[in-house]
Amino acid sequence: MRRPSSLLAVASVLFLLGFLVVVQLRTQSADQGLAALSVQDLTELVANVTARNNELRDEVGKLEQQRSAIAQAVERGDTSALQIRSDLNRIQGWSGAAAVTGTGVQINIVGSVPGDAIELLLNELRNAGAEGIAIADIRVVAGVVASGPEGEVTVAGRLVASPVVLTAIGQSQTLAGSLTRAGGPIAQLAARYPDVTITVAAVDRITLPATERSLAPVLGHPRL
Amino acid sequence: MWLARARSIAGWQVTLGAALFVLGFLIAAQLASEGPRIRITSQERTPLVSTVLDLQKQQDGLKQQVLDLRASIADLDAAGEGGTAVAQQLNDRLEQAQEAAGLVALAGPGLVIRLSDSGVPVPADADERDYLVSGADVRTVVEELWLAGAEAVAVNSERVTVATAIIDIGGSVLVNSAYLAPPYQVSAIGPSDMFDRLTQAVGFVDFIRSRAETYGIGVDYAVLDEVDLPAYAGSVTLRYGFVEASPGPDATPTLGPPLGSQVP
Repeated sequence: MRRPSSLLAVASVLFLLGFLVVVQLRTQSADQGLAALSVQDLTELVANVTARNNELRDEVGKLEQQRSAIAQAVERGDTSALQIRSDLNRIQGWSGAAAVTGTGVQINIVGSVPGDAIELLLNELRNAGAEGIAIADIRVVAGVVASGPEGEVTVAGRLVASPVVLTAIGQSQTLAGSLTRAGGPIAQLAARYPDVTITVAAVDRITLPATERSLAPVLGHPRL
Repeated sequence: MWLARARSIAGWQVTLGAALFVLGFLIAAQLASEGPRIRITSQERTPLVSTVLDLQKQQDGLKQQVLDLRASIADLDAAGEGGTAVAQQLNDRLEQAQEAAGLVALAGPGLVIRLSDSGVPVPADADERDYLVSGADVRTVVEELWLAGAEAVAVNSERVTVATAIIDIGGSVLVNSAYLAPPYQVSAIGPSDMFDRLTQAVGFVDFIRSRAETYGIGVDYAVLDEVDLPAYAGSVTLRYGFVEASPGPDATPTLGPPLGSQVP
């Protein structure tokens, strides 16, 4: 029969072994990417994550105010209908379920580009803080993808012919600056498609239509 | 005599010996993995790396705060319905809008695709970054999943929403401005034929040929009865836009001066 002390020794060593395996794997996966980045890349990364953190702090502040306002209404015995309606409008506008009006930019693409070129511009607009985007009169929402080869680009099942017009709501200078920066998406597309002209203009006021798609999940259910 | 002595060694001693050997190996590997990083990390980079990690930790905390506050507000909204039909209907619509926008964690049948960096040795004259999973790779897979019928998608811990950008900075991938470490797990809820539609799509076949077959980028699939997707924990505030009282398309924007252009 095995002695308890020997079993304890084996168990301790195996525990330490498992712990070290996990530490080793976590160390490698989490920090390996960062360790390989240049100072310039790390600085850019810090700027990106800081910007997101600031947005999140703003969101936390707004949600705390909202919670406080609703709590006071409930204490007074009022319904929170007004607050709910305001929240509903905001979320529907953000998600594309409702039309949104505001300032932003208009991008004209004259010439044939494939769907992935348009996706490159959409991704840049989102990264620059666009609050809503439309291609022609099609609202870009989650699940809407510009796809297909040059001259046969479809968006939400509809063929989009040249000139393709993208409109985006957001801070005009930031959106335009991000698109037209050196080495940015327009510069990349200029190198790939020299015959195509892409222009960006500020828009004082534009309305993006609501999506025609149903955004409600059918197969997915809320996870409790 | 040597054989007889070997037979007398108890089984637990063999196990302990083997475990200690592996333990020693792992300690050496851990120290070795720290060594080169310390050597290549300059005085400027060390604080930057720790700043990124600190900021990411703060971001995780802020995201949790956002989710907690939303849950708390939902409870208060329900309590504040006050029994009126209007408030109840509005609250139901709000919950549906939150689900549709990706602000609620979802579970459902679907597919998980794992993208991992290539294990193929990088040739001397090649660009090492071609052998790493890029933001463009992750974006392609997300787009192909949408086209294959996905109704909700996430990358690692980040839900893909209307506002999600997937970008590269150096060799790292950011989704919703959150730094994600490889491998990248793209999860999607969708119809039962989503896998077939995905693997038959021209865009996805091109991706497999150009990235997996050419550079050895790892692409693994799992079709699952239940895939869990996190809620989006970012801002949903409109700063430059507002919702019209009577929505309707307006195809004639008022143009300002050009901000930038590319003329061949």
